[in-house]
Amino acid sequence: MIKVSNTSFLPLFAKILILLLIAKTLSLGLLWFLPSDGVELVQKSNYKPKYQRVDFENMIKSPAESKSGGAKEGISSAVGITSMVLKGLYGTQSAGYVIVALKASLSKTSIISIGEEFEGFQLNSIAQASATFTKAGKEYTLELEKISAAGRVSAFTQTQEVDDTLSKSVSKEDIALYAKSPQEIWKEISIVEIKNGEAIEGFKVTKITKGSKMATLGLREGDVIIKANNIELKSYKDAIEIYNGIDKLDAIQIVVIRENQEVEIVYEIH
Amino acid sequence: MVKKLLRFFAYFAFFILALIYFSPKESIYYLLENELKTYSVIISDETLEDSGIYLTIQNAAINVKSIQSAKIQNCDVTLLLLYNSLNASDIMLSESLKSFVPLKIETLSFTQSIFDPLHLHIHAVGAFGEAKGSINLLEKTIHIELVASELMQKEYKNALREFTKSQEGGLVYDKSF
Repeated sequence: MIKVSNTSFLPLFAKILILLLIAKTLSLGLLWFLPSDGVELVQKSNYKPKYQRVDFENMIKSPAESKSGGAKEGISSAVGITSMVLKGLYGTQSAGYVIVALKASLSKTSIISIGEEFEGFQLNSIAQASATFTKAGKEYTLELEKISAAGRVSAFTQTQEVDDTLSKSVSKEDIALYAKSPQEIWKEISIVEIKNGEAIEGFKVTKITKGSKMATLGLREGDVIIKANNIELKSYKDAIEIYNGIDKLDAIQIVVIRENQEVEIVYEIH
Repeated sequence: MVKKLLRFFAYFAFFILALIYFSPKESIYYLLENELKTYSVIISDETLEDSGIYLTIQNAAINVKSIQSAKIQNCDVTLLLLYNSLNASDIMLSESLKSFVPLKIETLSFTQSIFDPLHLHIHAVGAFGEAKGSINLLEKTIHIELVASELMQKEYKNALREFTKSQEGGLVYDKSF
């Protein structure tokens, strides 16, 4: 009988074991210098109620001057909802308020928040340009009051500068063009991020091509865009989110720092 | 003598293989993640699997400056010291890039070997066509040769403007970083 200790297998096995031990020890030593956790994306919540146009001007006009908005039934018809006018809204799906009135007395408006009732209709949610009510288990959608095309053009094609607020008119065709070919934007305007340390504080307009469509939008070289539709632009993601949904908006509000003052620019998309 | 040398190389190769097998690949990957963070690139939502010889990364979302830019279904990282590679497949770029390039990339691979340590070789196949190139780590330059697909030539002409025509008639992109 041959003893195991007399075979060449044992020294070979011992050497392999030692090599494995050294390799494992080195790996554990390496582990000491390496990070134990990776990097995860931290999305800072940047909640602000979405910007919605509240047409206060139309609210104080006489009933004859104002045209009422339409009511669309979600499930079935009701006489009550068609006699209501949605004059303004502010907020998101789950929070905010709307301004409503009865067609019979447009000057008498009521402000109701989500969960509250108006003429028996309970406000459920607020969308981009409409509000959803329920009554007796049925759902009704009331659309934001429309201004006539002629009225809107006359109100917004003229650039007005009152109390640091500019109003501009932008066509849906131009928005669609820029949404489809974003490279066209960068031919006309140059924007760079403004940082305070690691944090982005806004986006500075460094160049605008004279005579371009961008040049007619009220932005000036040196402006720092800090907000869009009430969202503070603290990252590229904030800016991209606005850009991605631009074709669904009917108004864009931006706030810029110009000569150390905040200036609000409102674009009505028609 | 030759027998001794052969035995030494055999033990050495075994030791290297053992070292690769035991190396903390996940921690090395975390180190890479931390390095990428300095360039505002963050990889998130991924699952890691150490398969001994290589590390498998699945369902990784690539975020550049907090914007989700791509989703990678599968990626294998092999670090063999003499030959290192990263092979990614099923890459879908973010919808926000659809105006610039076709979104689907079938495969993307980076390889580096001891015989050419200063060059990182790239090969990619996707809806855009086929691209081959290299990154010179010393001179910090990128050279890419593209065979553009029909889709790319028809619908993404603007993106092709970044390329110049080579003498052979192909498309070439050169950039330093």
